[in-house]
Amino acid sequence: MEPAVNQQYVPSDYLPILIQFLAALGFVVTTLIVTHLIGPKRKSAVKDAPWESGIESVGDARTPISYKYFMTAILFVLFDVEVIFMYPWAVNFRSFGLDGFLQMVLFMGLLLAGFFYVLKKGILKWD
Amino acid sequence: MTSIILLSIFGIINLFVGFMKSKRILLPLSLLFLAVVFGANLFSWNEAQSYFNHMLTIDNYAVAFTGIMVLATLLLLPFSQHYIEEANENLAEFYSLLLFSLVGAIMMVSYENMLMLFIGIEILSIAMYVLAGSDKRRLRSNEAALKYFLMGAFFTGVLLFGIVLIYGATGSFYLTDIAATAAVNDGTVNAMFTLGLLLLVIGISFKISAAPFHFWAPDVYEGTPTLFTSYMSTVVKIAGVAAFYKLMAAAFAASYAAWFPTLIAITVLTLVVGNIGAVVQTNFKRMLAYSSVSHAGYLLMALVAFNERSDASILFYSLSYALATIVAFAVLQYVSEQRNGDETYAAFNGLGKTNPLLAFAMTVAMCSLSGIPLTAGFFGKLFVFTAVVQDARLMWLVVVAVLMAAVGIYYYFKVVIAMYMQPAADAAKIRIGSFASFMLIFITVFTILLGIAPALVSDLL
Amino acid sequence: MNFILSSLIFTPLLAALVVLLLPVRRQKAIKAVTLLGTLVQMVLAILLYFRFDGSAFANGQQGYQFVEKLHWIGFSLGTLGRFQIDYFVGVDGISISMVLLTGIIGVIGVISSWTITKNVKGYFLLYLLLLTSVTGCFLALDFFLFYLFFEFMLLPMYFLIGLWGGPKREYAAIKFFIYTLVGSLFILIVMIGLYTSVIDPQATAVQLGLIGAGGTAAPNAILQVQQMLQQNMVSSADMVRTFSIPAMMEPANFIPGSLLHVLSGVELWYLPIRFIAFLLLFAGFAIKVPSVPVHTWLPDAHVEAPTPVSVLLAAILLKVGGYGLIRIVYPIFPDAGAYFSILVGGLGVLSIIYGALNALAMNDLKKLVAYSSVSHMGFVLLGLASLTTEGVNGAVYMMFSHGIISAMLFLVVGVIYDRAHDRAIQNFRGLAKVMPAYTTFVIIAFFASLGLPGFSGFISELLVLLGGFSAPEATGMLPRWLTVVAVFGLLLSAAYYLWALQRMFFGKYWIFPELRAKATITDLNFREYLMLAPLAVLALLFGILPNLLLDKISVAVTGMTQLTLQNGQEQLELVLSSLIR
Repeated sequence: MEPAVNQQYVPSDYLPILIQFLAALGFVVTTLIVTHLIGPKRKSAVKDAPWESGIESVGDARTPISYKYFMTAILFVLFDVEVIFMYPWAVNFRSFGLDGFLQMVLFMGLLLAGFFYVLKKGILKWD
Repeated sequence: MTSIILLSIFGIINLFVGFMKSKRILLPLSLLFLAVVFGANLFSWNEAQSYFNHMLTIDNYAVAFTGIMVLATLLLLPFSQHYIEEANENLAEFYSLLLFSLVGAIMMVSYENMLMLFIGIEILSIAMYVLAGSDKRRLRSNEAALKYFLMGAFFTGVLLFGIVLIYGATGSFYLTDIAATAAVNDGTVNAMFTLGLLLLVIGISFKISAAPFHFWAPDVYEGTPTLFTSYMSTVVKIAGVAAFYKLMAAAFAASYAAWFPTLIAITVLTLVVGNIGAVVQTNFKRMLAYSSVSHAGYLLMALVAFNERSDASILFYSLSYALATIVAFAVLQYVSEQRNGDETYAAFNGLGKTNPLLAFAMTVAMCSLSGIPLTAGFFGKLFVFTAVVQDARLMWLVVVAVLMAAVGIYYYFKVVIAMYMQPAADAAKIRIGSFASFMLIFITVFTILLGIAPALVSDLL
Repeated sequence: MNFILSSLIFTPLLAALVVLLLPVRRQKAIKAVTLLGTLVQMVLAILLYFRFDGSAFANGQQGYQFVEKLHWIGFSLGTLGRFQIDYFVGVDGISISMVLLTGIIGVIGVISSWTITKNVKGYFLLYLLLLTSVTGCFLALDFFLFYLFFEFMLLPMYFLIGLWGGPKREYAAIKFFIYTLVGSLFILIVMIGLYTSVIDPQATAVQLGLIGAGGTAAPNAILQVQQMLQQNMVSSADMVRTFSIPAMMEPANFIPGSLLHVLSGVELWYLPIRFIAFLLLFAGFAIKVPSVPVHTWLPDAHVEAPTPVSVLLAAILLKVGGYGLIRIVYPIFPDAGAYFSILVGGLGVLSIIYGALNALAMNDLKKLVAYSSVSHMGFVLLGLASLTTEGVNGAVYMMFSHGIISAMLFLVVGVIYDRAHDRAIQNFRGLAKVMPAYTTFVIIAFFASLGLPGFSGFISELLVLLGGFSAPEATGMLPRWLTVVAVFGLLLSAAYYLWALQRMFFGKYWIFPELRAKATITDLNFREYLMLAPLAVLALLFGILPNLLLDKISVAVTGMTQLTLQNGQEQLELVLSSLIR
């Protein structure tokens, strides 16, 4: 009469999973702490120095890159994305008719205006 | 719709005009553009029309709020004179960004579809993120931009999540469809719907800096260049509240019981946090930030009342608040420039002697913000309170608001005390252009006029 | 239509505009214009006083004299009816005395301000604005208009104290401002509540088409509207809501089921909502009166304010509080007035005794006078709470008489302060020897204030106490012991005045050594005679011939009292019964 399998789960049924999870996490944490504590430590100036294939390192690890690079990259993305609109438009060009053509002209016109703005602002100048 | 198109075109034209040698043409040109938009907007009065498959509807509500937001921009632009004087190379971009962000603001008051709301908020916000950081050399400005951007992006995410959940529950982005689905289900479709509604409320509360989602406001307001703070606390806030009301009225009227407790808690908290927070400030600009939080609370009261008077109350309050706030920030800008960037109350010492006009305009603005009769702010508060007491059970809310208004007097009058009752630290007269003075006089007279004949605006809606 | 009331209100405003246009350097002209403006206002007030018919009783919409009514702000609220604010002014027996007082004190104040040297233009501009708003307050019959004037009064006063005051002026000014503002915001809340509950029967009759637009109020049409309203036959969209005080005074104009209707049955904090409304209003006006325990702004404001501002504050501004209680609070909420009479009377007596005890302890002559104001204004509350004819008449008389006498007291204090730049009682002795004329006026002022027979103070205190003693039998309002305690207040006031008189003026002439260098103790000059003598004459005149004032006020005050009492008892039963249901 009684259903053999309990259909109703209560939160405590998930306890084994939680214990498994804690055990995994605990292992990682414990290992990290224990190796840190019992491992041998020898510190000297030579050991602490940054080392690169036997050549002494010069300068900072964070090399500045010209912001113009980012500018160009972002502009590339901007002007590249519009192609996505062009593909479906081109496929359906006939069904859109004149309206569709004019809308695309407007869109491209705005894009062109943006391009001229970018040029005039001198963002693509490298010097 | 004409205003959206015109603003976009004018914004682009502005960008190219910026390449001319002299930047002097920019201000008059932008003012002209805004005036044209303001006029063109009025043609849509009583001629409601829908666009883009009913995703936008320009009705009287939209026209009225568009009018106020364009007017506010028009009134605060003349105080950008010092940018012209120091020949800021990005002046054209600033003006254009303001025009573009107005497009977003207009979309926020005329949307019929949640996607339009989202796009409107984004157009408005992204321009503001840039403008917040426009003072590149000042660390505070950079901090403000980054803070505003991170917080804004996060809460836009919350808002979007809310929209998505609502879509999941009702199967539509259209306000009317959502309302229809909600109406047949007693206003609460399912848990997803309620959660989505809650997230929407939280998302918009952030945009209008209602407590407890106001924490960004003081830092961002303080760091942002004053002109754009002025814009942020007027146009952005008005657009937010108008969008909020439209959302609730058009989509969630049937779900009143579901959002009412949340909103009333937010309202009371906003009133209290805004006013009490403002009391302890020594920096005038931070005080204005908290004061703008508190005014969000008064505006939300009209929303809480949720009856036929709500929209007209919000409209009138927005206008009165915008007028006073623009003056306050404009005067602050002049004063702090003269006093090497000092924005504390002490910077205003003796202003009544050196610049009677600035001091008088500021006094009227402070009276209006605190709701003293014969200024627009008094009727703003009166209309909001009248809307609320239609429901007798909300009397206590009015009592809280009234007590908070009394607290408001204390900090608004601190600056009046400084101007008239403290000896001047720096007796030099602050130089202001004749056009800016004219604008100050105009706004002041307008504030008083609305305090004598509020019917000019109050029965538009 | 008669424009005398509008002229009264706007004469100072007109003068203010002229002052605004005058250049700052022309100080003489500014003073002259201000004097002229106030003189015209005084003449108008006196004219009004004599043309006012004291035998007409103002009740309901009719009976106010020299009425002017203009639509000001009005718009439709859709299904919530119409929003309507009128420019509605009129005068009756209660306000006539206050208008006369304002006219007289306005001129005295200008004379006293003649020696102002700092920022003359600003001072007189604010002075005139203050007069406009106070006059407007006394004449307004629209609650909203009243509130507008009431609250606008704060601004000029704030600046007058804050800019021309003493060393702690900022503190005193902001304290005054915040206290009064909190009070007026309480009033605002109730005003909005009343507005949602009351209709204008005449305008509603027009809306319903019972009478033609602009038609005169036919009494039966109004009666018909009121009956229809009480039977729920007027639809919400047809109701024209109003701020009119006379309309609010009639219980028949309250919308059934509205918040403040007697049968609304709404409770808040275990009290009927009407009682809460009464308490809020009472608190708002009590701050202005001021009554203990919300009086603490007054001594600060008085101590810091310059003499003429103190005069205005004590003589006119405080009266707005008492006037508001009589004009608005009691007639609109008679039930709560009857219910809380012990509270109002008790606070009155507390003010009398506490104010007098404080006055006794003060070393600063101005603080002494300020606390004596608190003490005397307590009589207004006591008289009002008794709800007897004598008591309320006495309260109105007290407001008028205190206006005259307190003005004189503060002027007298100002005279010694001008000479010695100090007013501590212990720093002076035997002033009568060097300033005989001054001492005479001081004695007149002190004796008038402590209620010596023959002065106006005596009449008012007598009336109030008579009312208080007869109240238990006549109206059943106050316990008799309360009035007995109040009598001790008289004793105390005699004590502090006579003691001050004895310490400062009698004995051998001596002033505090450190003051001698700066002080030039001379007797009164012509200007000071000019401001003190008329007040002394008036205090005597109204003490010997009380009918001069009572003839004008008593019919209206008596009528109002009886109406309040009658309505109060009827409505109190209804309110309490609606709670039990």
